[in-house]
Amino acid sequence: MDQIIENIFESILDGAQKVTEAKVKEALESGLSADKILNEGLVAAMAEVGRLFEEGEYFVPEMLIAARAMQSGLSILKPILVEEDFKPIGKVAAGTVKGDLHDIGKNLVCMMLEGASFEIVDLGTDVKPEQFVEAVRDHGCNVLAMSALLTTTMPNMKATIEALETAGVRGKVKVMVGGAPLTDQFAKEIGADGYAPDASQAVSLAKKLMAA
Amino acid sequence: MKEYTIDLEPVGLRIITNEEMTILDAAQRAGVEIAALCGGDGWCGKCRVQLMQGNLSPMSEVEQDILSEADKSSGIRLACQTRATSNVKLNIPPEALTTAQRLQTEGTEEPFDLDPMIHSFKINLQPPTVHDLRSDMLRVQDALEVHGIRHATISFPLLQTLSNTLRALHWQAQVVVRNCTEVIAVLPQDLPIFGLAVDIGTTKMAGYLVDLKNGLTVSKAGFGNPQVPYGEDVVSRIAYANQHPDGAKLLQQRLVDRLNEMIHELCRYANAQPEQIVDSVFVGNTAIHHLFLGIPVSQLGTAPYIASVSDAVERRAVEIGLAISPAAYLYMPPNIAGFVGADHVSMLLATNTVIKSRMRGETIVSLDIGTNTEISLAHDGRLLSCSCASGPAFEGAHITNGMRAMPGAIEKVRIDEGTAFYQTIEKAAPIGICGSGILDAVAELNKHHMIDPNGQLRPDAPGVESEGRRSRKYILVPAEKSGTGGEIVVSRKDINEIQLAKGAIRAGVEVLLLEAGISSDEIDQFIIAGAFGTYLDLENAVSIGMFPVLPKDRYQQVGNAAGIGAKHLLLSREKRAHVDELIRGDEYIELTAHPEFTRIYVDALQF
Repeated sequence: MDQIIENIFESILDGAQKVTEAKVKEALESGLSADKILNEGLVAAMAEVGRLFEEGEYFVPEMLIAARAMQSGLSILKPILVEEDFKPIGKVAAGTVKGDLHDIGKNLVCMMLEGASFEIVDLGTDVKPEQFVEAVRDHGCNVLAMSALLTTTMPNMKATIEALETAGVRGKVKVMVGGAPLTDQFAKEIGADGYAPDASQAVSLAKKLMAA
Repeated sequence: MKEYTIDLEPVGLRIITNEEMTILDAAQRAGVEIAALCGGDGWCGKCRVQLMQGNLSPMSEVEQDILSEADKSSGIRLACQTRATSNVKLNIPPEALTTAQRLQTEGTEEPFDLDPMIHSFKINLQPPTVHDLRSDMLRVQDALEVHGIRHATISFPLLQTLSNTLRALHWQAQVVVRNCTEVIAVLPQDLPIFGLAVDIGTTKMAGYLVDLKNGLTVSKAGFGNPQVPYGEDVVSRIAYANQHPDGAKLLQQRLVDRLNEMIHELCRYANAQPEQIVDSVFVGNTAIHHLFLGIPVSQLGTAPYIASVSDAVERRAVEIGLAISPAAYLYMPPNIAGFVGADHVSMLLATNTVIKSRMRGETIVSLDIGTNTEISLAHDGRLLSCSCASGPAFEGAHITNGMRAMPGAIEKVRIDEGTAFYQTIEKAAPIGICGSGILDAVAELNKHHMIDPNGQLRPDAPGVESEGRRSRKYILVPAEKSGTGGEIVVSRKDINEIQLAKGAIRAGVEVLLLEAGISSDEIDQFIIAGAFGTYLDLENAVSIGMFPVLPKDRYQQVGNAAGIGAKHLLLSREKRAHVDELIRGDEYIELTAHPEFTRIYVDALQF
């Protein structure tokens, strides 16, 4: 691996945002392709962050800090990737459900998915069922990711899935759910296609759902 | 529907259940408090019960997931997931029973003028004769005129007993008048009269009985909030109220029952009768406030988190079942917005935060640390408030060996060359760590560079162990020295919980400073209220970044200021009038919707 790509990889693991930015710029200047920097630097680093998280080595703070560094690198690469007609591996509409404003977990999932080459349509917080339906219909998303942090807003996940059904778009999209008070059992009960207990597993779940 | 009995040990209680009710619901309906931090959703795994005899429903997927193989083979089940299918006998392990704990009833009091809502007058009436046919009530009214009370009304419950009471007292009575307008009690002449002030916290409650004639506190008591088994945080309790028919009613009933026990206890210490309590003030956060008054909470559980009422509430105490003088009132100060409620307003009042800021031009931050931490910033005539979800880590929840502040809890920690020195409550053998202890431990680990800036334990640091591929831990107390026979540790996960909590609190402070357009060094006073706020080591709280760095003399730990504020509201009409004005124009900041919150929060997570 290029020394400079390795530096990018390490800086993301350390969550050193400034270093990541500088090294991504340096890599571009040295003639490396945005595609290569993305895949071997950013995406590989986030995969490693996910692995460390699952092994109990990393926790949410490290993940947030690493993801932030990754994103600042990505924002430099994005315009170039768009120019080069880069193809993401899938399109995910994400948001916290109606009544819920807690978006740190959702943002982390978005960053991890972005770091795994997904394109994100971030619907933000307090997203009504019809807004999710619109996103699926208008943006052609393959995956819909919903989060709820409050036990009081969890029922709105079911309402969203029902709205997808009523609108006749449920078959077009895989639905994944997450959030601290959720369980796998709850996800099954409301008819979601999958549940991820954390941001790292959300990435593997999204990939699995894309392949299914 | 089939009914079964459950014998609960070690409580020694036989309760009735049916084939549809969960063990948790059945136990809670019978008043047995099994810990269920998640409100019975299954994810917290705290409501463990052990099957001794009989049959239970098959294990749910949640239980399969959460319970270890050892748990399963010893008959451990989650009460919220399990139903009886025969008569059963169950054992509740001690950690699943919510028990007595150290509570906060002390606080710093500022002097003020005694001017209660209640006045009492000794009156000696002439008994009626054939030449004096005035009614009993008119007789009382005429006597009160002498004291400058004109056209006093009488409350209906009192009217129903007035004639008998006056005759039983041989016309020598003490007439208790509220706000110079309404007669609310007629008592023997020399009986002291009391007011009741209660701070209803999410987890703990502090009550005071105050002599209304001299303002002195005659007794105080600390009780646990009986709603804890229905959900550790207020959102879980709102969910419980939403999901169970009569759920809100049950939560109110539990609270009122426990308050009546508290009243009984307070009276016992003061050698008084509940009938002598002629006024009362209650404070609590918005959710507690609504649940207590029987006001709907579902709109509070979902964005934009709207309170049903923000004005102060005055009702007759008997209307919600409080066993004090039948015509006595209860008063609750105003709520601000979101979960920033009457308790925070009461705290602002007791600490004179707003007054001092306006009079002296000082910039004051006041906060009350709990499962929800409410923060206010008074600066340049403005008052900004927010509420942050700091979580129950400082109550000992979600911490590997965490526990509430009870005997045997490690409350102070110092690390010297890798060896931990600790102090436990009542010097008992250590059985776990409470909030101030875990804060100390994390601060000490940080101070000695045993964790990195992201909170990871360094593998080469003394006392740090790795369990194979699992996360690392610092051994605070080896198994042979602990009171449980197992080691007491600080795990990476525990550090993570503290990071999330301190990050949330700091981010709340920083967002308020940002909104006010000032930097932290402009803070003249940093006031920390609440039980945990009193016991925490200030230096350690600053060193882990929970509070901004300021000169030492700018911090003040003031104890249970919300409770003190409630007492002030009992003793001063001026303060009641002032409290509405105090929060007029308050700017409430919804942190989760603030554009800079996530960035500030991520920064605040690091050491």
